[in-house]
Amino acid sequence: MTLFDHWHPVALSRELRRRRPLKVTLAGADVVLFRDGPRLGALDNTCPHRGFPLHRGRVDAGQLVCPYHGWRWATDGRGQAPGTPTARPCARAWEAVERHGLLWIRRAGSDMPFPFVDISGHGRVTTLRRRVQAPLEVVLDNFTEVEHTPPVHAFLGYPLERMAEVECATTITDDAVTVFNRGPQRRLPAPIRGVFQIPREADFVDAWTTRFSPVHTIYDQYFLVRGSDERRGPALRIAVFYTPVGPALTDLIVLAYASSARWRRPLLEAIRFPMTRLLVRIEVGRDARLLDAMEAPPVVLKGRALGRFDKALTASRRHIARIYRGEGEATGG
Amino acid sequence: MSEKRVVVLGAGPSGLAVAACLRRRGLNPTILERSEAVGSTWRNHYRRLHLHTVKEHSALPGLGWPEQVPTYPARQDVVDYLEAYAAKFELLPRFGEEVTRVRREGDAWELTHTSGSTRADAVVVCTGYNRVPHEPTWPGEEGFTGAILHASKYLDGSPFRGKRALVVGAGNTGAEIALDLWEHGASSVELCIRGPVHVVPRDLLGLPAQITSLRIMQHLPPKLADKITLSLLRFVVGDLSRWGIRRPKLGPVSQVLREKQIPLIDVGTVALIRQGKIVVIPGIERFDAEGVHTVDGAAHPVDVVILATGYRAGIAAFLEGSEGLLDERGYPTVFGAEAAPGLFFVGFRNPLTGQIHDIAREAERVAAAIAGGGR
Ligand SMILES: Cc1cc2nc3c(=O)[nH]c(=O)nc-3n(C[C@H](O)[C@H](O)[C@H](O)COP(=O)(O)OP(=O)(O)OC[C@H]3O[C@@H](n4cnc5c(N)ncnc54)[C@H](O)[C@@H]3O)c2cc1C
Ligand code: FES
Ligand SMILES: [Fe+2]
Repeated sequence: MTLFDHWHPVALSRELRRRRPLKVTLAGADVVLFRDGPRLGALDNTCPHRGFPLHRGRVDAGQLVCPYHGWRWATDGRGQAPGTPTARPCARAWEAVERHGLLWIRRAGSDMPFPFVDISGHGRVTTLRRRVQAPLEVVLDNFTEVEHTPPVHAFLGYPLERMAEVECATTITDDAVTVFNRGPQRRLPAPIRGVFQIPREADFVDAWTTRFSPVHTIYDQYFLVRGSDERRGPALRIAVFYTPVGPALTDLIVLAYASSARWRRPLLEAIRFPMTRLLVRIEVGRDARLLDAMEAPPVVLKGRALGRFDKALTASRRHIARIYRGEGEATGG
Repeated sequence: MSEKRVVVLGAGPSGLAVAACLRRRGLNPTILERSEAVGSTWRNHYRRLHLHTVKEHSALPGLGWPEQVPTYPARQDVVDYLEAYAAKFELLPRFGEEVTRVRREGDAWELTHTSGSTRADAVVVCTGYNRVPHEPTWPGEEGFTGAILHASKYLDGSPFRGKRALVVGAGNTGAEIALDLWEHGASSVELCIRGPVHVVPRDLLGLPAQITSLRIMQHLPPKLADKITLSLLRFVVGDLSRWGIRRPKLGPVSQVLREKQIPLIDVGTVALIRQGKIVVIPGIERFDAEGVHTVDGAAHPVDVVILATGYRAGIAAFLEGSEGLLDERGYPTVFGAEAAPGLFFVGFRNPLTGQIHDIAREAERVAAAIAGGGR
């Protein structure tokens, strides 16, 4: 098994148009995506004929046409050479699917499960992709601890002076790492509190589970009346996928949802949804800029001075090696 | 004056709702439940199931859904809600009591159940629309070397990773299980849809289908409602006949009223069908060792067959003299009122506007009829 066996989101649906192919890169492998009606095609980007990059071609009648000699490729990889009608050339096809507003690929013939994101009954807030200059592991590290939230983030999270009060519980299972954080929400401007129905004295819960096929984290974020079990306002559910592009390049692919529904309070939600969207974009942008600024960060955790918020990091490294990269697997078994 | 003895059969949504409504009217019904907890069907449904009706129109009388539960509550949310409901109205069903016989004796009802028998002035049957799995059979099934499993025993697709799976049945359950099998890495997923069926997305243009039915379609003449729905579906879903799904001649609203067939509420299966991930096949003619043969003569080798072929109410199995009270498929014909002296049914109707929504209203009416009626 290799990491290509997992279903990776590699682009947003809206990035792939009807007639123009799109090149994506998954862990160094260039793949061209194109549409045949509702069907999605994904082929190795190098034309099997003489190696022209297929993403420079065009889509005609659901087939990808190579600009060099005009050979045509169907979504399943079967080709036609107009000059030699009897030829049966074949391009290497990936399995591809469009779901949740994203385009996903995995190695053809793999039987890895598709990641389950329970968003039934949630309203979509936003879908975004942001490329960061850091290895997958380092990106995941940032997304699985809250200690960076006071200096890095603007809205969600805890005030620096009360960070010591924040509860942080890490649970590690065979295939997942779960973290539950709860603490006093930092001060927020009154209009934001109003729109999100957050009390002046609120606790903020940031809880998530990371799974590793592919590597992704699903967050539940919500507010409570300080020190009580009383929930206030809508909850956010955010799925973040970390798609490796190269050794030090990772795509963050974010699906953000809210537990509220637009039709229920159309006027309030007409303000709340765009505002949530903006908040999510700002906060993800801050993480991304921070990661870009890390400059060749060390991937190995051994020998670093780790704190109480970093327990998930070490566990995740083990899971990535075993579940995601298939290291230490018995060969031939 | 001694209190009226009322027995409620079943502690699902219907039984709990009726019992709560009766308690609010000063009666103290006995609830006999064959399993060990309330809401047993919801404890056993497949894992990813959510209500496809919205929470504000899926509440039982007297208790709303908690704020933090999303629009379409998950299976576990439903179980939690039913527990909270029983606690709020101090309903204490007698668990492990399967009712095996209900019989009219003189001017009362005699019930035989696991631990003995009970006499009652009024009986409310709330044993569910989905009591007995319906498992059709086909020629050659005995020789099939794969596995056959009814949807009621399906939890999730993990046992079927890498397997060739076939799902039989064009209801919500069949469609969602096909989706679940695909997600869990089944090597191929086929969905057998025998006849024409209306496909309605759970959310149409951002609005839940149930809200559209409740707030608009219900109030229009069925013909007009059908017209509007069909043109909307043509626009949103389009023609699926290329993928093996044909639309019935009768509109979706009339179909529910006349043929009691509810449309398929889609939660994502259709998108996978269009992309060729799930393949729709026609009706099954017979099995052989390798798989099935469909009516068009094609062979489909498979490793596992999931029967999402529905359920039966199975009331005749325990209710004596039920003949005049049930229709040809075994469902009661009288709703929300006395079906026979001291006999009531709740939860055996499946309208477009949602079954739990209907149960909540029926429960009130039945409780009023019992509490108000003379002895
Ligand atoms: C997969 C599925 C999804 C559904 N989704 C929705 C939805 O989204 N929205 C909606 O409104 N409705 C939905 N329904 C329909 C309906 O609302 C539910 O089935 C609901 O649980 C019906 O409640 P009930 O109490 O009538 O029956 P059940 O929930 O089936 O409860 C019947 C109870 O009676 C007990 N019982 C049965 N026989 C006996 C006996 N002989 N003696 C003692 N006890 C007995 C059972 O153990 C059970 O606890 C769905 C149904 C199914 C199957
Ligand atoms: S290189 Fe593509 S057709 Fe020749
Ligand atoms: Fe962050």
